[in-house]
Amino acid sequence: MIHLWFDKGTILLRGEAGTPYGKWDPRVECYRIKAMHYRDVLAYLKESNLAFQDDVPNLPPVQQLNPTVELRPYQKEALDKWRHANMRGILVLPTAAGKTYVALKAIGLLKAQTFIVVPTLDLIDQWRKRIVEYLNTEAGAVGGGENTVRMITVSTYDSAYLQAETLGNKFMLIVFDEVHHLASPSYMQIAEMYIAPYRMGLTATYERSDERHSLLPRLVGDTVYTVGVEELAGEHLSPYTYEKMFVELTPDEQEAYDDEMGTFRLYLREKGIVLRSAEDFQKFIMSTGRDRRAREALLARNRALKIALNSDAKLSLLGRQLEANRNEKTLIFTLHNDLVYTISRRFLIPAITYQTPKEERREILENFRKGEYKAVVTSQVLDEGVDVPDASAGYILSGTGSTREYIQRLGRILRKVEGKRAKLVEIVSKETVEVEISRRRRHKKPTED
Amino acid sequence: MLPSELLAVWKRKGNIWPRYARATEDNLEVANRLIKAYKDHVGQKKGVLKAFAAEIEDEGYEYRFVRGLSFLLDRKSTFRCNDRIHPVELRRRIFHTTKELGFATSPERRRTIVETVASELKVTSESVDEFLYADLDSELVLEEFEPPAPQELLKEYNLSLTQTLLFDSTELNFTASGNWQRIFYAVKRLGLIYEVYKDGRFWVKVDGPASLFKLTRRYGTATAKLLPTIIANPEWTLEAKILWRYTNEICSFKLESWKHRTMLNSPQQPTVSYDSTVEQDFAEQFQGLKTGWQLKREPEPVPAGKQVIIPDFSLEKEGVKVYMEIVGFWTLEYLLRKMEKLKKVEANMLIAVNEKLACEKLANLEKNTQLDIIYYHDKIPLAQVLRYLEKAFRNLQTTQTGLLKSLPVVFTEPIVNYEEFAARIGVSMEAVREALAEKPPEGYTVMPNGLVRKDKLEQMRNTIEEQLSVTGRLPLLNAIRIIESEGVADVTKSLETLGYKIVWRGINAEKAEVVKP
Repeated sequence: MIHLWFDKGTILLRGEAGTPYGKWDPRVECYRIKAMHYRDVLAYLKESNLAFQDDVPNLPPVQQLNPTVELRPYQKEALDKWRHANMRGILVLPTAAGKTYVALKAIGLLKAQTFIVVPTLDLIDQWRKRIVEYLNTEAGAVGGGENTVRMITVSTYDSAYLQAETLGNKFMLIVFDEVHHLASPSYMQIAEMYIAPYRMGLTATYERSDERHSLLPRLVGDTVYTVGVEELAGEHLSPYTYEKMFVELTPDEQEAYDDEMGTFRLYLREKGIVLRSAEDFQKFIMSTGRDRRAREALLARNRALKIALNSDAKLSLLGRQLEANRNEKTLIFTLHNDLVYTISRRFLIPAITYQTPKEERREILENFRKGEYKAVVTSQVLDEGVDVPDASAGYILSGTGSTREYIQRLGRILRKVEGKRAKLVEIVSKETVEVEISRRRRHKKPTED
Repeated sequence: MLPSELLAVWKRKGNIWPRYARATEDNLEVANRLIKAYKDHVGQKKGVLKAFAAEIEDEGYEYRFVRGLSFLLDRKSTFRCNDRIHPVELRRRIFHTTKELGFATSPERRRTIVETVASELKVTSESVDEFLYADLDSELVLEEFEPPAPQELLKEYNLSLTQTLLFDSTELNFTASGNWQRIFYAVKRLGLIYEVYKDGRFWVKVDGPASLFKLTRRYGTATAKLLPTIIANPEWTLEAKILWRYTNEICSFKLESWKHRTMLNSPQQPTVSYDSTVEQDFAEQFQGLKTGWQLKREPEPVPAGKQVIIPDFSLEKEGVKVYMEIVGFWTLEYLLRKMEKLKKVEANMLIAVNEKLACEKLANLEKNTQLDIIYYHDKIPLAQVLRYLEKAFRNLQTTQTGLLKSLPVVFTEPIVNYEEFAARIGVSMEAVREALAEKPPEGYTVMPNGLVRKDKLEQMRNTIEEQLSVTGRLPLLNAIRIIESEGVADVTKSLETLGYKIVWRGINAEKAEVVKP
């Protein structure tokens, strides 16, 4: 008789027959099969009328679910498409279109052990809350110091990757939130090392600048449903205005900026280095490990950028804006944590960064939701997927140099208040390379992991 | 282990090496200054300390080296949050007051907010500013620091650097002089898979389950964690394949004890400890017996296919080797699995099983196995072990004798010593003696300790005759000298074979003489 069992993220098969999915492993004298082929192997053995004993899954006990999710028509359509594709595939829905609800509905229908993989710890909290609210059951969590496996378990990509050996055979459905992350060389092993026959990918930004998204259909399934912002705007998403404000550096700042930037440019010119693309820049960064002068040039450039990003003129403008719009619920985004704390200390408004204790972060967001806090300043932790409802104004003080989608993503967490459109303002220093970064941010594709 | 951005390497023609910090004057100075900086900053903020360390970096030293050392020193430090005023509570009050009074967009309003909270908490306005973010990493205070010796810090840095490089490894091959039980235990605990092979020495190749499908760095971290256990030995050689993350090329990395050991910090080799007193008692009692069998604890692993068995003891006598394993707690399944593995071993293995801890009926076991099993209660029965050993010895001898008899052996040397010959071809002396005595090669005479070619015997006869012809008798001691000078050990037997007689006068060999009968 053929015997199948799970071995550290793979399936081992012993018996008289091989399978088209396995490979003979001389180290252990068994066939070894990628966990992702679990469903295919079972189908093959059944079709071939081969008797087998399947010890692969080790599922946590089933809990009583009491689903109360109601779907909007386009969400329902998305779910139907997925179900017709053998419960595999990717759904592309814009931010705030309620991707989560589609997945919750699917879990409620399947009532199977489910693993939800998300990019951030915030999203773990958010999913767990929703699961309690809409499925009326407690979910487990893996990541951020927690490690409880339940029928429905939410994990970060990092923990899902690191613990694939032990978690890989515990779930029948796997949901990848922000599935574009999955295509990175290490994270794609999550898809390969988990047996889950049912798979759902959710994203607003399917395409990656490195083209690796072409790997996703093999790992999760094809894109089975796509709906764009345009189709949903107005009806389901709130529109907003976008504005760019320029400030000039103070004379002192300008002088220091020119000085540092001059050092950097001089080095490039002397060495005949031209930086046209992200790849060029990566090469330059690598050379700074060997070349001391290159490193000095890089440090000078970083200091110059810091002057521009942290310019006092910008903070003054932000202050005037805050004062003038004191009743708006306001989110302030910056790239650097230093600047987050500078703003928090200066205007005495709450800050959220990766260093913020979990409890305090929850409390700040809750107070912001209730209107108890009028503004929050944050680095990037909120920019993907996490709901911060009811903000009516957003300010970007420095950015990742990423994309139009970035702006859109921030824009979509804004809501109109009393018929007034929400607004998003980007504050940029004039006459500095920051203008370049800001332009690039609006035109290039994302360079995400 | 360091953050990967601090990994400094040399790379050339497909080879890769960490940039080790040798104990040069320059490197020791950097280490010394950093250690001193940490000592001097006890009681100060981490941010201040780190800024100071960054200054050393800006003096022209390799920044990854300086940061790497600083990273290791952080681990010898205790940083603590100064929470005389608890920052989280303080912030909560500040932000609520801001809600009441409006954003601090002017210095005046900021002062009002801070003062309001300060008077609520009965502290000064300055301390509000001071403690507002006292829990941030850079604001933590260095409370305690355990300074290492600079040389030790460099060695620790080199070890960390090696481990950081191994993060990117796809496989590791190594050989070591011992410590096998711990090494294989670690391999298993880390979720790795090994294969063993002989290439002059005993080599182990380590990677993971999914390595079968493609090159992967997935097991690099576990491999890095294995390193200290391997290099705890006096001798080792490691060869790793590194999938270099920046270029995706495969590089070779080689580490050898004779070259690198003094540069790497390695944990003390733990002394052999016994898993149980049963093992210890057995070893001590056995060694007290003087049986001629050499007992060795933690012998070299025994290959069983591509896997290994690491027995508790090896017992060796005249080229015959027997392994022994003491099993305390066991199940039938466990022993069956062991048997499965043992089928691939071409070695004698004795298993001592604790009768009291048996989880299954012993009858079941005996029905199912052809293993050599003895049972024990509190102590291993030595007599049974010895009986097994002698049986194994005899069996092996019989097998070897049979083998030798069937071999067409051609000798050319005038004298063949059994002991030397047995050692040379790796069988027991008894087997050689038996095989050759039964069917001596053409032209040789069988002696108790060896073979002597007939012309050699004639040569001895001539010399003895020559001396006898002078006096008619020959002192035995002279005869011994003649025979031994030809390299023959069996004096009495030789004289007998040549047809001489020894005339004893008392028991004093000096007075004995050789005569013709």
